[in-house]
Amino acid sequence: MKTIKYLSMKVLAITAIALGFATLPGKAQTLENYYANIDWQFNFPQSDGFVKKGSGWGLNFEGGYYLTENLSVGAFLTYHSNHKYIPRETIILPENGSLNTDQQHTLFQLPFGVSGRYTLNREGMFQPYFGLKLGPQYGKLKTVFNVFQETTNTWGFYVSPEIGMNIFPWVYKPGIHVAAYYSYATNKGSLMTYSVDGMSNFGLRLGIAF
Amino acid sequence: MKKLIPLLLAAAAFTACEKDADTDKLDNKFVVYTNYDKQVDFKQFQTYYIPDSILIIGDKDKTEYWNDENAQRIIETYVFNMDNRGYTRVTQREEADLGLQVSYVKNTYVYTDYGYPEWWWGYPGYWDVPYWGNWGGGWYYPYAVSYAYSTGSFLTELLNLKAVQGQNEKLPIIWSAYMTGMLSGSTSLNVELATQAVSQAFTQSTYLTNK
Repeated sequence: MKTIKYLSMKVLAITAIALGFATLPGKAQTLENYYANIDWQFNFPQSDGFVKKGSGWGLNFEGGYYLTENLSVGAFLTYHSNHKYIPRETIILPENGSLNTDQQHTLFQLPFGVSGRYTLNREGMFQPYFGLKLGPQYGKLKTVFNVFQETTNTWGFYVSPEIGMNIFPWVYKPGIHVAAYYSYATNKGSLMTYSVDGMSNFGLRLGIAF
Repeated sequence: MKKLIPLLLAAAAFTACEKDADTDKLDNKFVVYTNYDKQVDFKQFQTYYIPDSILIIGDKDKTEYWNDENAQRIIETYVFNMDNRGYTRVTQREEADLGLQVSYVKNTYVYTDYGYPEWWWGYPGYWDVPYWGNWGGGWYYPYAVSYAYSTGSFLTELLNLKAVQGQNEKLPIIWSAYMTGMLSGSTSLNVELATQAVSQAFTQSTYLTNK
């Protein structure tokens, strides 16, 4: 009983500290009408059989302008490469052909377009937000086998909800940016005997906030 | 229009940000491609003939053949696999039901129109149809093939020598194998890669048997 009471007090204390931080004003921060983020990202493809292995080979660039105290619109560009090694196998090709090889697959995604955010606690050190990105996505499927490579270029429509937080622990910018996102793009393509119909991803971003 | 140039340059810069996959993970064994005439019953053939040399497709006008001990090891691999599939090797090509011709592309600078299946047919000294018999109409591929080539490529074609001969007849190629890959600096390793690839060509061609 004593232990439960002790734990409850501890949880309350941590919550109070967290809330206190969240409502603290940013040190000497003045409200500015713009924001920008540059992030390293870790992306996990979800929906296609071509590549399904997470990687950190990507960056995100985003900037926006506050229309109101909380609502902003802007633009973004993101790119990411994911890879998958396919062990040696015999692939049955059309017209009676058979191909025996191993492969390295690469899925390259490059969405860009408009973004919107609703940011809370703009005067605080911690500024959480909900965001949405929309736009076209260029996607490239590539397979490399021995000295050969084949590629397929695709285009689709991209949508990506996102939650994140800009953190400004210091007096002056830049601060820290963290985010998590889901994305879906309508890209379709086929390469050798592989086909992709839609590209969905989960991912994390860590970067700097201006 | 001038305003678009920086945007296009920026787009090009970002697409160049693609991270290539680590090709060191690839096993570096040869890529093996095979194809065949689905209409042919391979059980109808009993015997085959294979020359004791491999034709070298290089950058010289003069015909070159490769017949040292390394070439013999590769040819023996073909023989081993053909024998395993129930065919009997004969020493006189006139007695053979099948002919097996093997060529090796020595470098990558001779032909540029790869993708066209018969690009090697124009090579000086390439296996002539008359070598195999009287098929005046030349070669005949009954199926579509798509070949690319680079350093270290073996081309193998299995010919139906039972086909009707005549000035207007064509010699059918009923099976082909294309094996290619990066070569190492070690001859013995390259020969090993080649013999593995030859065996793989047969492994993935289960129809090639008279059993």
